Amino acid sequence: MSMLKFLGKRLALSLLALFGLSILIFIIARVLPGDPARMALSARAPDWAVERLREQMGFDKPIYTQYYFWISNAVRGDLGDSLYTRRAVVEDIKQFLPATVELALFAAIIMAFFGILLGALAGRYKNTWLDNGVRSLAYLGVCTPPFVFAILFMLLFSYTLRVLPTGGRMTAGALRPPPITGLLSLDALITGNFAALGDVLQHLLLPALSLALGGIGQESRLTRASISDNLRKEYIASARGFGIPNWLVTLKFLLKPSLIPTVSILGLDIAVLFSNAFLVELVFNWPGFSKYGINAMLRKDLNALSAVVLILGMVFVIANILVDVTVAWLDPRIRLGVERQK
Amino acid sequence: MNSKRWVLLVTVVVCIGLLSGLTVMAAGEESQLRIMVAFPTHIDPAVGNSYSCCRALTMIHDQLVYPDTSLTPQPHAATDWEVSSDGLEWTFHLRPGIQFHNGNELTSEDVKFSMDRFVTIAEGYSYLFTDTIEETEVVDKYTVKFHLNTPYGVFVTALFKFHIINKDAVMENLVTPGPYGEYGDYGREWLTTNDAGSGPYDVVDYQVSELLTMKKVEDYWGEIRPRAPMRVLMVPWAQSATVRTMMARRELEMSDQWQPLEVLAGLDTIEGVEIGRFPTGGVFDMMVHNRKPPTDDIHFRKAMCYATDYETIANDIFPELPITANPIPPQVAGYNPNIQGYYFDLDKAREELQKSKYYDHLDEYVVELAWEIPVKERISLLLQSDFAKIGIKTKIVKYTYNWFLQNMSDMDVSPHIIGMSVNSDFSEAGGLYKVRYASAAANTVLQNEWLLDPVFDQMLTDSLAIADQEERLASYSPLQQYLVDRATSLWLVPEYYQGAYQAAYMDWPTGQGEGIRFLGYDTDARWIEVYPEKRAELLGQ
Repeated sequence: MSMLKFLGKRLALSLLALFGLSILIFIIARVLPGDPARMALSARAPDWAVERLREQMGFDKPIYTQYYFWISNAVRGDLGDSLYTRRAVVEDIKQFLPATVELALFAAIIMAFFGILLGALAGRYKNTWLDNGVRSLAYLGVCTPPFVFAILFMLLFSYTLRVLPTGGRMTAGALRPPPITGLLSLDALITGNFAALGDVLQHLLLPALSLALGGIGQESRLTRASISDNLRKEYIASARGFGIPNWLVTLKFLLKPSLIPTVSILGLDIAVLFSNAFLVELVFNWPGFSKYGINAMLRKDLNALSAVVLILGMVFVIANILVDVTVAWLDPRIRLGVERQK
Repeated sequence: MNSKRWVLLVTVVVCIGLLSGLTVMAAGEESQLRIMVAFPTHIDPAVGNSYSCCRALTMIHDQLVYPDTSLTPQPHAATDWEVSSDGLEWTFHLRPGIQFHNGNELTSEDVKFSMDRFVTIAEGYSYLFTDTIEETEVVDKYTVKFHLNTPYGVFVTALFKFHIINKDAVMENLVTPGPYGEYGDYGREWLTTNDAGSGPYDVVDYQVSELLTMKKVEDYWGEIRPRAPMRVLMVPWAQSATVRTMMARRELEMSDQWQPLEVLAGLDTIEGVEIGRFPTGGVFDMMVHNRKPPTDDIHFRKAMCYATDYETIANDIFPELPITANPIPPQVAGYNPNIQGYYFDLDKAREELQKSKYYDHLDEYVVELAWEIPVKERISLLLQSDFAKIGIKTKIVKYTYNWFLQNMSDMDVSPHIIGMSVNSDFSEAGGLYKVRYASAAANTVLQNEWLLDPVFDQMLTDSLAIADQEERLASYSPLQQYLVDRATSLWLVPEYYQGAYQAAYMDWPTGQGEGIRFLGYDTDARWIEVYPEKRAELLGQ
């Protein structure tokens, strides 16, 4: 089976999983208590107006008919209208998803960089004060929920030291870079607006760090264990025996194979960042997708809720596929194993 | 370029960016008012139906009439008006020369279009008019006549929630086909993020549910205070630690009004921050089911009213608020202070309970006390303890607000007692009576009493039909007495707005207890003055 076939199979299975997820969330959203049309129009709206909205949204039809229309429209890129924002869900996604993607990307960069760096150092200098320090930090990171870090960071850096902004994607009222990708940092960079870029980065720092700390703990522990295992392997001793400099042995022969378990988990951790983002978004007033999803759930905004779950499902699926590809790239045994099966 | 150079380049860009950001943070020192609100804020007058919507709509648009501090309608876009002797025709004369934000003149065509659109879309606050407006007629360029199908004395007061939009601007932005025939989508899509108003503030940018930015209209025709903020920004609601940090850093001028009392007390300790506190015209009630045993018995209900320790509830849960124990709070026009409400008296409670038909079977009945937010759980616990003293058994249950919305339309399912805050649609007692006790409200979350009382309905209809304000206000007294006599509910405290604001560098009359206390009008930025130089002083700049 070629790599392409392997990917094709993974993709087909993922699509099947997404289809199952769409049915599940569609049903769950509809059995939650509360009349979405009444909630959207308020308790005082006349009954006929509520009934008209129900008809417009198709809530008066049997659930399978509703699902058929929803899924066939969704395939065409129309996810219906949101009862919360009163506009197309696609418009909402265009606005809120980039905010969370930007946050998760920055958190992922911080997580990968510091997780691997600290893990590598701890593994390389096993059982030293450095190893112990990283271990303690990792435990703290793993067992503390991100929103606790968020509040602590806010109190320290925003309230007490006053060196970083409190919340939002940019200073309220500051001129935004023209929307190109929706990621404000990238848009600011593309348009050469460095003032906006700095403002965006300052706003990103604390929420991204709060989100990343748990992952840093996990990645560093995995990297450390893998590095300390591989250090005992014969090929490392051989490389050293050939007189290859230590730094080169570490970077080229030790780190690359040691990253395989870390990368496997990293992909999933990045996907988890999206679901963990809600409380961090709430603390930092981050107008993101997770916050939008929770509001959709509380207000029984059926189309928005289904879309949010479907997109989060897609994020998980894409992250998993990317992890498989990366692991195959990092580990020749997997790559060759796949090719040998042909 | 090798990888080291890439790393160097990225580091340099990030550092330049971070340093440049400091300039952005220091900029923005113009006079601005940042208000924390609960989104979504709909800036389409036919859709908006919440407090934050009212705040935005009031600033963006002009209204035919505008309330004064006693909440009496005063001329605004209309210079004067008259009503026909049968109360079915209301004629308004418009002020010439009012300009919409795009420069068009506001005429009677715009008023007719706005009202037609309002009642056709039938969302937002349109329910105030959908049942009464027969037709809107353009008499001439500056005269418009509303034809009603029934006398509606509070019509002018209800117009506080009617905002005039620019017909031409909306018509240019219709999406067709749409659900409203020749009008397509009636401009709904466009009005989601654009404004078509003529008010003192113009929408500059709206990132839906994220940030609404409005700018002062320099040549606004009406009154506006000299130091009114140049910009008004509505920012999304945040949790307490964030609000406190933003207030301390002077990044927010007005907090939201939902912070718990302990957080408000904390905010009050920040230098220059005060708590604005004023009655909203609503009331916090424990709604009692009047048609379900045992609370269907009038003596049982009276026993509960006398067994309620109002002072303890007020002191423990609403320390700054007065007790009401009456269906209408004293601050609302039409309240009659001579009608005695209920008070804590266990002897009287026992006496009433003995008169109840359930007295001999008290063990067979458990009164369900339902709550959905913590403050109501605390009230329920206090009531449970009070009622136990006279032998009434209770059960406290938690439901979600969604559950209430769905199940309070069912008389058999809705619980014996639930706590709810309800605000009035009009600035007088009739509004509260209509939303709380009229039969039309009986299957909604606004009424758990299930009164369905034709006598009360008729009395209310008659009162609301009276065009003369003084006479109408006087006519509300029998309604107040009627409800008290029947002990329909457990009335606790008036509904108060309680929110923090930057008193050191802003002057907010309503927060100081002197301004207009009506939904949305209370935070109208035209009456608020902001002093950026005092803010800079506080920040040590």
